[in-house]
Amino acid sequence: MRRRRARLRAAAALLTAGLGLSACATIGITDVPEAPEGMIDVLRLPAEATGAVQGLINYNWLSTNPITSTWLYEPLMIRDEFTCEAIGWLATGYEWESPTRLRIDLREGVQWTDGEDFTSEDVAFNFLMAKEYPAADRGGLWSDLFGAPAESVETPDEHTVIVTFTGSAVAKTDKILNEIKIVPEHVWADVGDPTQYVDTDPVSTGPFVHESYNGRQLTLERNESYWNAENVKVERLILEGQYDANSGALAMRNGALDLYTGDIPNPERSVSRSGVEYYYPPGGTTVLAMNMTRPVTGDLAFRQATAYAIDKEALALRASFGIMDVGSQTMLKLPIQQDQVPEQWRGEEFIPHDPATANQILDEAGYAMGEDGWRTAPDGSPIALVFSVQAGWMDYIAMADVVVRSLQAVGIDAKVVTTDPNAVDSMKKSGEYDMVLDSIGGGCQRSRDLGGRLTTSQIPDGDTILLNIARYDDPEVDQLVEDWSASTDPAQEAGYLSEIVDVYMEQMPYIALQYSPVRLIYREDNAVGWPSEDDPYPTNNMLRVITTLRPPEDAA
Amino acid sequence: MRYYARKTGYFLLTLWAAVTLNFLIPRLQPGDPAEVMVRQLTGRDGEIDPTQIEAVRAMLGYADENVFVAYWKYLQQLAQGDLGVSFTYYPFTVGEVIGQALPWTLGLIGVTQILAFLLGTFLGTYAAWRRNSRFDSFISVGSTFLGNLQSFWIGMIILFVLAYELGWFPAVGGYGYTTPGWNWLFVADVLSHAFLPALTLMVTAPIGFILGMRNTMVQELGGDYIRLAQAAGLPDRKVALGYAARNALLPTVTSFALSLGVLMSGSILVEQLFDYPGMGRLMGEATSNRDFPLMQAILLTTITIVLTASFVVDLLYGVIDPRARKSR
Repeated sequence: MRRRRARLRAAAALLTAGLGLSACATIGITDVPEAPEGMIDVLRLPAEATGAVQGLINYNWLSTNPITSTWLYEPLMIRDEFTCEAIGWLATGYEWESPTRLRIDLREGVQWTDGEDFTSEDVAFNFLMAKEYPAADRGGLWSDLFGAPAESVETPDEHTVIVTFTGSAVAKTDKILNEIKIVPEHVWADVGDPTQYVDTDPVSTGPFVHESYNGRQLTLERNESYWNAENVKVERLILEGQYDANSGALAMRNGALDLYTGDIPNPERSVSRSGVEYYYPPGGTTVLAMNMTRPVTGDLAFRQATAYAIDKEALALRASFGIMDVGSQTMLKLPIQQDQVPEQWRGEEFIPHDPATANQILDEAGYAMGEDGWRTAPDGSPIALVFSVQAGWMDYIAMADVVVRSLQAVGIDAKVVTTDPNAVDSMKKSGEYDMVLDSIGGGCQRSRDLGGRLTTSQIPDGDTILLNIARYDDPEVDQLVEDWSASTDPAQEAGYLSEIVDVYMEQMPYIALQYSPVRLIYREDNAVGWPSEDDPYPTNNMLRVITTLRPPEDAA
Repeated sequence: MRYYARKTGYFLLTLWAAVTLNFLIPRLQPGDPAEVMVRQLTGRDGEIDPTQIEAVRAMLGYADENVFVAYWKYLQQLAQGDLGVSFTYYPFTVGEVIGQALPWTLGLIGVTQILAFLLGTFLGTYAAWRRNSRFDSFISVGSTFLGNLQSFWIGMIILFVLAYELGWFPAVGGYGYTTPGWNWLFVADVLSHAFLPALTLMVTAPIGFILGMRNTMVQELGGDYIRLAQAAGLPDRKVALGYAARNALLPTVTSFALSLGVLMSGSILVEQLFDYPGMGRLMGEATSNRDFPLMQAILLTTITIVLTASFVVDLLYGVIDPRARKSR
């Protein structure tokens, strides 16, 4: 009897201890101070540092795991990936005075968070820093990939920077304007190798300044002296926690997060019924890359037949639950960029699903149907294609599966083999593959983004991944891309685009499957003005998104 | 003396083999660290930018090295105690990174291992003493059953019920909103975050010790000296604990010493599940990021701990048991 009582007592003690601990599930949480009238108190975002270890403080955007790389340092300009206009940021404009000479006009009245003025000296310092330390050259300013390396940097006055290149370098525009984030000369000049600098007390130009960080939760406060402060209505940002698709969806549903950009595959089902909105605009095109150096996939007739054979509607439905649209073979983002489609392809932007045409093309090209129901190559040898796809990438596997079934339906023997994603990258580099999936970026530096996919100088040699993984080889296209890369006249852009779209439409080294999303999942109870179907604007730069947000009262 | 020399030689040889394998194995898997890093920045569907890769490769500084040159460099650095700079946390050194994660694992795994050892030994001893009783079959069958479950699966149920459904405990992280430091608020925060992962580990961790202890103990209990002790009229408790359990404990202590290797490597799945900032998650991350220096450092320390532990045990056996020393 006494024993039982002792046991009971122990159990009670354990329970109390457990409950005592559990009461502390939110120990130390403090209320966010209220923002002034007309402002948003706080927006909660996932942490940007993705590592297991988060206690190492470094705001250096060049490091591999900065605590934030979005909100402090800013680029010169932001390219609108829908309209292809350049939006002024730290710079208000640029001009290629010649294919080798780039002038950048800087914004006046911008201040660093320590009160110093932002000048052309700062920008020149950033460019020269990349020369001295190639590891910091994220814009490729001084490298000979995509255009000639830079030669010199001048600053004729406080708000103008001129970069001279050893040859034509127009194709570098967007990398220089978009990728390089400008750091202050008066702080960074003394730090030596900038990639090794541990930046714990950032002096920046961005819309936010750091308020506190406890090793998990980063609180950023609105930068009162921000050059665009009138458009920043968010008083605080709290970045905390790492979320996968499931926990991210859960946190979005219960309001613990205001914004999530991770991969929630089917937002229609998992979040949208609980007051959460989503916008998945096309960011690029997921394509089927065909190895041009192999006999069957290198044959134009075979590629055309494949394009007709693939049931792209079924593919989009299976891979993205129909959230993403079927991709256009023009590699433009439709319908947003409808007005940019070259004249001759209007109305024919998509290759329809048409097995009969596919069969006809194959028959005419000599792919004879055998007794066993499989076709043979024109030279009589059997066909056995391998589609290598990244293991664990569920949407990619679904796409590969639909493609292979579509091919089998027209008598082409193909199979899906899933391998380590890194091994697929190795195949792209070495060319040891028949078919793989790849993503063609939807950027606006089209001589590079679309042209680079087709030019021989971008064929990978086995060590480094380059753009032309299909190994398309045509001297005329090489010349076209070269001319395009050197063109400084915006009026000629459409003409070059038209010629390169011809290649995609007619030669089909890459077959468009569906658009790949730049995801944005958001709640509207704390802020409105997010991009949406009704109010579309690109989601690829969050600095732009934050400057369009307004408190919900304003919407009424 | 020959025994010790042989054991030391064997230890050094294994250590060298371990160091070499440790260098080779990470490099055998496909994947380029610079590409993995850039891929992380651009996202999965994004296009990899060759200029970025070139810059990141220059930054990580392993560019076009011959394997043998790299191996020689690696040995030299190791001899100087330099473990290199982590790729994932560039520019922080591997030492700094491990210094951040190790305390969490030492706390979580260390405490649960010791508790598991104590609890397991106690339960195993009791089950063996009362062998074939209802308690014994409950413990033995229960352990075998639970032992077949994966700890992350148990963890998922615990996480779902106690954190998500009931909301009693925080679901993820090592701590929440407090500022790290030696104050009660932070300690309480850490404890409340450690409770669920510790509970998960405690379901399966004692099982090895329970079964091991029970089996050796049952064997010992069949020994003549036990019958003699009982015939001499010694009290049960003294026979059980003072004689049988003491002898049966030796192999269990060995396995405890060897299990210390887990202290470095952590428990990858459980830490992953609870987003616990310890060594297990770090190891998982280092592997998927092709972070060679970090991966090598963690593996190397784990191997060294295990090897040293077994070396010490070997030496101790030599002292304790003359038969081990004389045998070939």
